Order: sequence, then C-alpha cells, then structure tokens
Amino acid sequence: MMRRLSDIYCIFRIHLARLRAESGPFLLAAIVFPLGMYFFANGVVRQDPNEFIPNYIKVHFVSASLVFSLSLTAISWFGYLLLENRFTGRLKLFAVLPVASSSYILGVMVFALGQGVVGSFSLLLAARLLGVDFTVNSFESVFLLIIVVLLAIFSLAGLSVVLAHRVRSFAAGSLMTDALGGGLVLLAPIYYPAETLPVAFRWVSKALPTTYIFQAINKILTGDLVIGTELTVLCGMAAVTLFIGFWQLSWREA
Amino acid sequence: MTTPKDKPEIALHAGSIVKRYADGTEAVRGINLTVAGGEAISILGPNGAGKTTFLRMLTTELKPTAGEVNIFGTDAIADPRKAKTKIGVTPQEAGVFETLKGNEHLELFGRLKGLAKNEARSQSERILADLGLSESAKKRVGDLSGGQRRRLLIGLALIGNPPLLILDEPTTGLDPVSRRQVWDLLKRVVAAGTTLIFSTHYMEEAEQLSDRIALINAGKIVALGTLPELQSRFPLRYRLKFTGDAVMRSTKTLFFEKFEEVQSFIENTAPVEYQISTSSLEDVYFSIVGEELSSNGNGDGRVSK
Repeated sequence: MMRRLSDIYCIFRIHLARLRAESGPFLLAAIVFPLGMYFFANGVVRQDPNEFIPNYIKVHFVSASLVFSLSLTAISWFGYLLLENRFTGRLKLFAVLPVASSSYILGVMVFALGQGVVGSFSLLLAARLLGVDFTVNSFESVFLLIIVVLLAIFSLAGLSVVLAHRVRSFAAGSLMTDALGGGLVLLAPIYYPAETLPVAFRWVSKALPTTYIFQAINKILTGDLVIGTELTVLCGMAAVTLFIGFWQLSWREA
Repeated sequence: MTTPKDKPEIALHAGSIVKRYADGTEAVRGINLTVAGGEAISILGPNGAGKTTFLRMLTTELKPTAGEVNIFGTDAIADPRKAKTKIGVTPQEAGVFETLKGNEHLELFGRLKGLAKNEARSQSERILADLGLSESAKKRVGDLSGGQRRRLLIGLALIGNPPLLILDEPTTGLDPVSRRQVWDLLKRVVAAGTTLIFSTHYMEEAEQLSDRIALINAGKIVALGTLPELQSRFPLRYRLKFTGDAVMRSTKTLFFEKFEEVQSFIENTAPVEYQISTSSLEDVYFSIVGEELSSNGNGDGRVSK
C-alpha cells in the first residue's frame, strides 16, 4: 500500500513540474479565459451598458465560468498532457517500470485534481474581488463545493484519460481535447437557458457532465445545499469514465 | 569479459517466442535465447529484422503470440510486474520529461523503482557523474542536448541497480566521446555482474561490449556466438583494400581465404596503395545477413565489395 502511494506521489510530482514550468498557459485556461467568458456573458445580457445586473445572474455566470475553467483545465490542458505522454514516448518510461498502470492513472488524476482545486478557488476569489456576492460561508458549503469540484475533475479528466489512450494520432487527439474542452461547455445550458436549445440538443445536454457540474455549483453558490441528484449523476459519470480509463490502459500491448 | 560457462545462473531465457500481429505480419519467428548472469549480448540486424520487437517482448511491453520469457526465474508473461523489478530498460524511442531537472528525473524514477529517497538521490548523483552529466544535474531536461537526453535515458535504466539491462540502440545519436563514455560505464556495470542485452547498428559497439553476438534477420536469430566463433563462420579471413592498379583507379575491397592468396594478388596487380586486415564483424554480418556479399564471389577465393 505504501509503495503504491509512493508511486502515485512520484507520478504526481513528475507532472507537477509541468505546471511549475508552464504556469502561464495554466493561468490562462483556469482563470483568464473563464473570467473573459464571465465578462462576455455579462456584456451580452445587458440591454444597455449601464443596465444593472442582479447578483443572482452574476452568480449564475460565475458558476458557468467555473465549469468553463474546469473543462479547459481537465480536458483541453490535461488531455494535451496525456497525449504528449503517449505520443512522445514518455509513457514507455512508466511501462517498463514495476509500476501498476492504475498508479499512473491515479497519479495524473491527483495532478488534475490539484490544478482543478487551485483553478476553481482562484476563480472564486477573483469573482469575489469583482464584487459578486455568493454564499460559500459555512463548512458544509465549502465541503460540498470541494466534493463537486473533485467529482467534476474525475468525470472530465476521466474523459481525457479515455480519449488520450484511444485516439490514433497526436493531431487527432489534440483536436478532440480542444473541441471537447470548449464543446462540453457550449452544448450544456449553462450560460443560457435550456429552453433555448432545440429539443434534440436538450437531450444531449442531459448526458453531459458539465450540465450537472453547473447545476451543483450554482446551487451551492446561491445557498441551496440540496444537490443529491447532481452528486449522484456526477458520481455515476466519474465511475464510468474512470472504469473505462483503468480498463483500457495496459502497459502491455497485445 | 565473462562467458556463459563462468556464471551458470540463467538471467534470461526466451523460448521459441513468436510475435504475429493482427494483420498476419510475423515480426519474430521463433527466437530461442538463453543469457547467463553477467553476460553481455548484442543484437545486430538490419532495420525491420525484428530486434526491437524481440526486445520489447523481453521487457514485457509486448505480449508474445507464442513462446516463453523467463527473467531470473520469473515468468515474465504471467507476472510482468515482478519481472520488471529485475530489469532496467532504455526503449528505442522514449521521451523524457522536459520540465524536470536532470537529477529530479533520475531520483523520481529511482523511487518508482522502489528506492528510498536518500538512496535514489545518491544513486542519481553517481549515475549523472558516470554519464558525464553532473553539470547538467540542475538543468531542466528540456535544455539538454539530444545526446545528453539519450545519456539520461540510459541513466534511467541504470538507476536501482537492476541485475538485467535491456537497451535498445542505447548510443544512437551520441557523439564518439559520449559513446565511449557510455561503453566504459556499461563495461564497468557488466564487470560488476549485471547482465546486458542491447541492440545496436554499430559493429564496433557490439565488438567492444559483447560476450556473444546474435545476428537477427527476418525475425530469426541467424547466427549466435562469440566474435571469434562468428568470424570462423566466414572463411574469407583476409580483407584487402587497395587503390589503383593498371586497369582500375578506384578503391576496392577483396576478401581472401589464405594470406598467400593476398600476397599473390598484390604481386600480380601491383596496387598503388593497399591495406590488409583480418575480416571484421561487419564483414561477417554482411556475409551472414547476405546483404552485400551475396553474389559477388568470383570463384577464386576472392569476394569483392
């Protein structure tokens, strides 16, 4: 057990060095672009530049931008990193070690969780500095928010793990992670009402983790801590993606 | 150098291993190889001969279609993880983590091999010094040259002192000085009892480092033995490289079975310049693999090249 924990920690450390060296792109994906989306949504919703926007709408956009941040970091950025590991031969270095493939997945997931938590709470801090009033003021709300962020990362980063090990080329994988990172946010009714979507897309949006991540976060930020349904759905999605990720990654080629 | 007879312990046994891909391509067609502990074996062969496929089956990266692989008594097909505790590997086309520093890279991979933190650090320092990379220890791997990265990859195989090293073209891309530095290190490691299996395209490397040499062609071992044993399979022992007789002005190489034949040829043709040597591993390689000396024999004990 200690050996496995040590392996997971080392794999986390190896990837953490990437964040240390490339903090600029991470900040862009985790904070700057989502803040940009927040300003964009606020701008679009106004009929004229001086119009007052109620706080609950601002909280709605902060929640949506948090989902955007999680999606960009857990799919676009993290997925790209996994693709690099696979297609530049770095994965071979682990494959020839006496390390379980599940330890590799857990190590990179811990890294994804770390960056997701840092990104989310930095974005919330930025929103607070911008004057958005949300209610994360009790131990219970902070705890639930952390749980939602963790489940969000597991379900989104799990998709990255699956994608990065199924695609046939780096170019195809890179395109897919970029498209998914943005697409999962735009196809889910998080910046706009679900009713504006065509019926078929409404059904599609019900299958997207981003829809439930948004609902859970928005409820917590508005003081509604009854998020059992969202947590259940996210647990299911995280379990499925992680199961597929663990199942398909084998160090030994057939 | 040790010989198989000196150390009876079997480090590795590959029995009748076959690799057939889904499209029907048979990359390895029944290779048998037993390597004694402390022995150094080089794998030579043309591109596409099956060297890397063979080595990847030994490192457990690739599952054989048939056959057995046993590493220090462990069935590497049934229990690859246990087998991997005894192997240090340098894959042919592996990448490094460019954002790590050189010493961090080695230390973290040492820990992944089960070393304690302090032991990983001390081994890392020693290996970096042995590979001439001490000054690069604190540099980011992304800032190292291609040759330095390649040496770091060899270091990743060495850390943890595994009893068996499997290196796929370890010195490809290294300058001559770095290559000799790696050779010296590998010689020391083998002298200390480590078993070494490596593939290479450099004949000199095979001559310098190996106790035995395996020539692979078309997925099979076509020759296996010590250098003298392989040379004995090539009857044309003398090589004459000469320039400029009365008819021909270009440089040409001929092979002869007996030294008297060389002397006779020189007397008859009176070349402007000539060099006589015994045939090399490269000559044996071409002879056995059949790429160069195939049909140039002229029936009088000479083969031109």
